Amino acid sequence: MIETRELRREFGGVRALDGVSVRIAPGERRAIIGPNGAGKTTFFNILTGELEPTSGQVLLAGEDVTGRPPHQLARRGIARMYQRNELFEPLRAIDNVALALGASLGPYRPFTAPPATTVSAAADLLDRVGLASRHDATARALSHGERRQLELALALAQRPRVLMLDEPTAGMSPAETAHIASLIASLERTLTIVIVEHDMDVVFRLADHITVLHEGRVLADGTPDAVRGDRTVNEVYLGKVVA
Amino acid sequence: MRRRVALAGAGLVAALALVTFPIWSSEWESSRYATTVLRDMLVLGILALSLDLLVGTTGLPSLGHAAFFGAGAYAAAIAAQRLANDNLLIGLLVAMVVAASLALVIGIFAVRAAGIFFLMLTLAFAQMVFALAFQAVDLTGGSNGFAGVQRPRLFGLDFSAPDALFELVAVTFVLVVLLLWRVRTSTYGRALVGIRENERRMRALGYDTTRLKLSAFVLAGAVAGIGGALSGWSLRFVSTNDVGIGRSVEAFVSVLIGGSGTLLGPAIGATVVLFIERVLSSSIPFAETVLGVLFIVFVTAARQGIVGLLATAYSRVRR
Amino acid sequence: MTPEVAVQQALNGISFGALLFILAAGLSLIFGMMDVVNLAHGAFYMLGAYVALAVVQRTGQFWLALIVAPLAVGALGLVLEPLLLRRLRGRHLDQVLLTIGLSLVIVDVIGLVAGREIRSLPFPAGLDRSVPVLGGDYPVYRLFVIGFGILLAALFSYVHRRSQLGALIRAGVDDAPMLAALGVDIDRVFAATFGVGAALAAIAGVVAAPVFGVFPGMDVDALIYSLIVVVVGGLGTLSGAMAGGMLVGPADTFGKVLFPQFALALIFAIVAFVLLLRPTGLLGRVRITR
Repeated sequence: MIETRELRREFGGVRALDGVSVRIAPGERRAIIGPNGAGKTTFFNILTGELEPTSGQVLLAGEDVTGRPPHQLARRGIARMYQRNELFEPLRAIDNVALALGASLGPYRPFTAPPATTVSAAADLLDRVGLASRHDATARALSHGERRQLELALALAQRPRVLMLDEPTAGMSPAETAHIASLIASLERTLTIVIVEHDMDVVFRLADHITVLHEGRVLADGTPDAVRGDRTVNEVYLGKVVA
Repeated sequence: MRRRVALAGAGLVAALALVTFPIWSSEWESSRYATTVLRDMLVLGILALSLDLLVGTTGLPSLGHAAFFGAGAYAAAIAAQRLANDNLLIGLLVAMVVAASLALVIGIFAVRAAGIFFLMLTLAFAQMVFALAFQAVDLTGGSNGFAGVQRPRLFGLDFSAPDALFELVAVTFVLVVLLLWRVRTSTYGRALVGIRENERRMRALGYDTTRLKLSAFVLAGAVAGIGGALSGWSLRFVSTNDVGIGRSVEAFVSVLIGGSGTLLGPAIGATVVLFIERVLSSSIPFAETVLGVLFIVFVTAARQGIVGLLATAYSRVRR
Repeated sequence: MTPEVAVQQALNGISFGALLFILAAGLSLIFGMMDVVNLAHGAFYMLGAYVALAVVQRTGQFWLALIVAPLAVGALGLVLEPLLLRRLRGRHLDQVLLTIGLSLVIVDVIGLVAGREIRSLPFPAGLDRSVPVLGGDYPVYRLFVIGFGILLAALFSYVHRRSQLGALIRAGVDDAPMLAALGVDIDRVFAATFGVGAALAAIAGVVAAPVFGVFPGMDVDALIYSLIVVVVGGLGTLSGAMAGGMLVGPADTFGKVLFPQFALALIFAIVAFVLLLRPTGLLGRVRITR
């Protein structure tokens, strides 16, 4: 589904990514892990089009999409959940989701209000992520956990082929974390999911396949058991966490 | 639902009162001074409303919007003269097309910037339009301006008389308000609001935000052009003042004082601004200073404008 | 165009460029440190010219005016920043709007106090003659402007690179919040910056006055030119103001002489061209367009 070839990205003199080649199959649950500064966010930003690689290629379902801007990638089925929420703060939750749904309808309708189908679809989506009683609350007024749920709803509203989750459980309580993890686990298998995470419990629960990044390179790439047992990975990263 | 009907009803009454103003005011207002001032308030109001589509709805602070207002004014006046045709619809069409085309040309560059940089670019480009109008003396009259603008006609209706022209301006104003109301509540308008609130997220959702911003810029320019045509017909005169930074600032001040991002705020602001510039200035010599100070006060202490103050007062009363 | 005329126009272009540099430097400084585009910059320029006018009328001393005007206008800026801008700290767009309001007030007050006729500042004694330059006579004053620009540029460069103040400025342009976190009194720095920026605008006003005159509306011209110069040259850097000035000055001068109808289109084309190729402006570090 997604393939990157020798992806490199430099910032000034710093090599954030130094030849990352990765292949993610359709329907796979891929976790990208690694210490801070390993290049995970850079990798993510390239896959979603917010950053251009210095060299290398990105292929989506066989099509070369290297360097394409975010809105074109979104149109091709990539949806993103940001690490730091990117919501429409003063709008109500339901309006947030309606806006996300509206993207596929085509926004050039200057005189017609959003159709009722959009509104009900937005409501359904909010219910699905666990915000059933919070439709009318503004994004600003939601709790941190609820904001993450809304963030997920926005991504799902795009009906994507690939869901990119950037630290979905960041800043959440154990209960909220468990909730979001279940939510993600319950998503359709037709959806390819790429998830960057620090919470190893969540990673090992959700991932089919793990890629470990370190200093801009792939350190290990395999099944959760393989990665758990990998000595280098343990020294560099997992060794600090209870395996 | 009842609230909606009540609001619609109130709106209808207000619109009717506005449009029939010359009739019910004729007793206490034989000199037509109030009618003239109100007419000019409505014209500035149209400009301010069109600007707020950019500033309030989309979050694009344009400080060069008068370029399109003036372009529309010149276009309508010059077309009537050159084509020897005073048809209202032709005049409006020419004004809109010229203004929109100019907005397209400027917008292609300006829209690629954001925030303060967008403000600077629109200011600079508009000033170039000003200088162009200044220099093209054969076409525009240069610093002397374009005098003797013919008022339009439409199938036998002649808008030369003050009252008739007022009707034209008032009806156009109401139509503009309706148009912008529809746009703001449409999926398109909501997308513009989305861009204002979080452009990054909009792009990630699949919206081509650059194209959307450009379309808003052109639409706002076209409406400003209509305002310009009305201005030329009202004053029977078009000058570089209509296209210069003073007019752009006037519009921006109107938007801010009235309430950016609201339906009628910009128009309310326009009435305040024009009152100060026209009525107050005949009594005191420092009217512009008053305007500047008022603007500063609003920017620092009442950022949401008059509408914002009213809304806050209303919600306090309801508690 | 004869060689003599060409030389004269070239010198005109360079002296105009020097003036633009002095004018734009203040704008660039305020933006670099405070992230505020001071739209009252033209008003400060105008105020400088009118203050100089008052001084010269009273004392006949141009050089005194050149000192008093920037001090007076700089003091005004020093007072206005804590009074008005500080409470909008962090709201950059609103600060810019505030400067619009300031500009309206300053310009109107000038008109009320000094009247709205076109005035001019007489050339200082000694600089009101012409000297032979490569075949033709050239006004000494314009050469003075070039020299003055070079002097200021050298002064700025020294301060920027060698002094503690310069280090403070360089750090502030890079990362003002960090500077505050390190314990520097950022309030004082910002107030001083605004004051210095205003003073620089005033100096430009005084220097330009004998050549360009003193009249209502001069604030708009100055503001537009300074914006064009910093956009082209790059925001926030002194070398940007220099580069912008040296590009726009001669381009404007030659444009007006060679094809007056299109001089403006030329400037427009330069702005558009530069922004398309280098969205940060020639030497700037802040992206203006995407």
